[in-house]
Amino acid sequence: MSGSEFRSTLPSVAAATGGLGVNSGPSRAIITWVKTLAIFALLFLAVAPATGTEKEKPLPKDLPPYGEMKPFQAPQVTVQKLADGLTLWLVPRPGFPKVSFTLAVRGGLAADPQDRPGLAELLTATIDQGTASRNAKQIAEELQAAGGDLSASAGSESIVVNTSVLSAKAEAGLALLADVAWNATFPDDEVELAKRNAADHLQQQEADPSFLAERALAHVLFGQHPYAVTSLTQDSIAKATAQELRSEYARRFRPDQAILIVVGDFDAAKMAASTASLLGKWTAPSTPPVPAVDKPSLVPPHAVFFVDRPDSVQTMLGLGSLGPTESSPDYAAAQVANAFFGGMFGSRLTLNIREDKGYTYSPGSYVVSRRTTGIFQTWAAVRNEVTGATLNEIDYELNRMATTSPSEEELVHAQRYLVGNQAIDLQAQDSVGRSLARLWILGLPPEELGRESERIGKVTVKDVDETAAKYFPAARQAVVAVGVEKVIKDQLAPFGLEVKPAP
Amino acid sequence: MKLRRLTVVLACLLGLVGSAHAAGGWKVPAVSKRLPNGLVVVVSEDHSAPTFGLCISYGIGFRLEPEGHSGFAHLFEHMMFEGTPVAPKGTFDRVIEGGGGSNNADTRYDFTEYVDTAPVSALEPVLWLEADRLKTLDFSPANLENQRNVVEEEVRVNVLNQPYGLFFAIDLPGKAFDRFPNAHNFYGDFKDLDAAKIQDVEAFFKHYYAPNNAVMAIAGDVNAAEVFAKVEKYFGGIAPRPVPPKPDLTEPPQTTERRATEQDKLARVPALAIGYRMPPRHSHDAVVGALVGELLHNGQASLLYQALVKDKKVALEVSGGVNSVFGNPFEYDGPTLLTSFIIYPPNLSEDDVLAAYDAVMRDLATEGPSPAALARISAKMQSDWYSNMEVPIDRASLLSHATLLDGSPERVNEIPDELARVTAEEVRAFAAKYLVKTQRTIINRVPAPASGGNDSGGKGAR
Repeated sequence: MSGSEFRSTLPSVAAATGGLGVNSGPSRAIITWVKTLAIFALLFLAVAPATGTEKEKPLPKDLPPYGEMKPFQAPQVTVQKLADGLTLWLVPRPGFPKVSFTLAVRGGLAADPQDRPGLAELLTATIDQGTASRNAKQIAEELQAAGGDLSASAGSESIVVNTSVLSAKAEAGLALLADVAWNATFPDDEVELAKRNAADHLQQQEADPSFLAERALAHVLFGQHPYAVTSLTQDSIAKATAQELRSEYARRFRPDQAILIVVGDFDAAKMAASTASLLGKWTAPSTPPVPAVDKPSLVPPHAVFFVDRPDSVQTMLGLGSLGPTESSPDYAAAQVANAFFGGMFGSRLTLNIREDKGYTYSPGSYVVSRRTTGIFQTWAAVRNEVTGATLNEIDYELNRMATTSPSEEELVHAQRYLVGNQAIDLQAQDSVGRSLARLWILGLPPEELGRESERIGKVTVKDVDETAAKYFPAARQAVVAVGVEKVIKDQLAPFGLEVKPAP
Repeated sequence: MKLRRLTVVLACLLGLVGSAHAAGGWKVPAVSKRLPNGLVVVVSEDHSAPTFGLCISYGIGFRLEPEGHSGFAHLFEHMMFEGTPVAPKGTFDRVIEGGGGSNNADTRYDFTEYVDTAPVSALEPVLWLEADRLKTLDFSPANLENQRNVVEEEVRVNVLNQPYGLFFAIDLPGKAFDRFPNAHNFYGDFKDLDAAKIQDVEAFFKHYYAPNNAVMAIAGDVNAAEVFAKVEKYFGGIAPRPVPPKPDLTEPPQTTERRATEQDKLARVPALAIGYRMPPRHSHDAVVGALVGELLHNGQASLLYQALVKDKKVALEVSGGVNSVFGNPFEYDGPTLLTSFIIYPPNLSEDDVLAAYDAVMRDLATEGPSPAALARISAKMQSDWYSNMEVPIDRASLLSHATLLDGSPERVNEIPDELARVTAEEVRAFAAKYLVKTQRTIINRVPAPASGGNDSGGKGAR
């Protein structure tokens, strides 16, 4: 998990890079407007002083109540389809003088050839290293002159390329992004250098406990399923060729399987014209697009999978299981349950293993959606001595979720947290771009940004009970532990689980 | 930079600053007021979303924690969340999260900041809570013991259990500087953390957490006059207190290059950290230095990336800048470094990397940057600086720090213009004067042999 994921409960940031999405769905007619939603009004007006009703401790008597909630307007998106089939979502927001461009295509790590796991990562490392008319240095320098960088990342079901530039240089930024998206050449010498650096980089990543834990958990949860692929292997790196990258690029970067999202301070009509001229005249190949990923059928085993990391002073504990997808009726309840289980700072997990026991610094739980499954995961890095004690507390909190009801106050608190944080998250241009890309990758329309909060507001205690009983039982979770093998085996012995090396 | 909770990775902080290079440039509004008790309040209205960001910075960072108390400023920061006599532990989090927001805090060299963001409907209770914890704390020994454990886990997760163990942030200043305030391990030796007593917490609070040692900035969907009135209402009654005068922090001059090699049990690929001592913070040279740091390190177009990663192929990654680990090049107020952090291929030597690195420094000191390179970095810094002010919580931070360290919130609008006026000759002269071997410290961090060296990854902290 990256740093930001530790605290993020709406999986918007993780999603664009964490891998979601698939099929574009039916083509959309020219311009619809997302309905403006008064999200806060749904939840907040009646409950202004509501934290005062929480049972555990009364709030200070002089604490002023919350004020009246102002409605929050979800970003307004104009939806278009260019002549070549490229989907275009424009979000003009005057004021802050930058423009963020996010281009996403279907086909990420899960679409990599079976004998080249992680190839999409090599593709993102080299996509900006040369085009028909520019070399790598020119691309980097022209972007810098526009005030931007290019970031390209591979998720499970997509590749996302982003740049954010000064409004005054928006045209230049768009031209560079378009060039990279359709004219990348993957020069032999650049691919050679990228391969060499990727091999060393992977070696370095394998020293990092979070990297090891996430990779192990993906393998435990998905086995041979393509969702198990989260990174390169040395074998993939050694065998990959520039020609393979070119053909994978051609297979995935095609206008009928791509979206461009533009957010920021620009003139909508001019931007639409520029995108039509720069990006609207490509031809989609007649070959079939990247196929959708099958729903995983494996039931992850309730066992401990360890990665021996000698000299570790902590054990990185990760628990994971399959969860609801974003399109599932369970999803909103799972988000709410996750928030007060381990998503918020005031969550049960944090209050227990950090604020009460002092076992860990930054514990957390996450509900993440891919296209055909969700993932529910819980993480804590703890000193070696309390490895077993921590798993005991996590199991206790999971089973408490699965067997008892939250208070009404706990529920409302989590709902307001999620809705408010969405408004805060959508303040930044890049964040709006990532959130919209996540929806598109999942096959959802932009209106879903507003509906997420609406659905969260409607979750009841009964919904949470049912969802928690379904997804939270400790016996449903696979356990990954990265640290000193002997510490893990000794400390986790009392749980009576099979303890074996991670696949 | 130490956070109460892990929300930011160091990489976010590399390459941050900007300059107003296009004529006119974008300015953020800012009005400020000093309360009779000395608290400075800054308001920046932005009505684009119904939210606010708040940052209250206190003029105490880890630089001033006394010898024998390394890591205490940060441990204290954690104690600010452990409740007060009227709002017990957990209250602040409950109220702000229940109001749809979140809070956090972090400790840097010369200040400690507490940040809040939420829908504006939660502003008033949050102001009340910030004022409440400036009056007094619940000085609970049990809570101190709890947070000592949490902080030690924070050190384990970020330092002791990590390859490289933040050696570029902890060990490098330790070797580059000679005096305790600038050289000590800011995360704290465990023996010092273990020795901290609740009386120390009380004394630190009394000395440094006074309204006259703080700047509070609020950005977002607010009305300045209303904010001033509310702040007056909740903070006005807090009495000012004498704050200890800032001691002399200057370093004895460095006269020779300093070199060291460290073994790392957890890393598998070697890395170099190089730190150059920088000119005094309040000088024009410091502004030039900020730009030079970005020219060298900001993105794939940077001089060092192009030379080391692409042309000479002697590095996997290059990052750095002035004060780069702890914020932007203006968020400090004492001796600091321009730092380069370089991960290099295991089959190469330190000398291979340094030969390429020194060639870049030599060229910069003799030729200076090309006009095109200067224009590019100027645009990039302007763009990055704007991004630092895009969302209310970040803007509040920047305004608060500028006011605390430079005396005026307007500084956030002036810095881009000053950077834009830096000339190629100033860059060249800066490189010739400061980016020289006698002003630098180099640590080569190499994987320990598998048979087991006796050093530990993360030697900085224990």
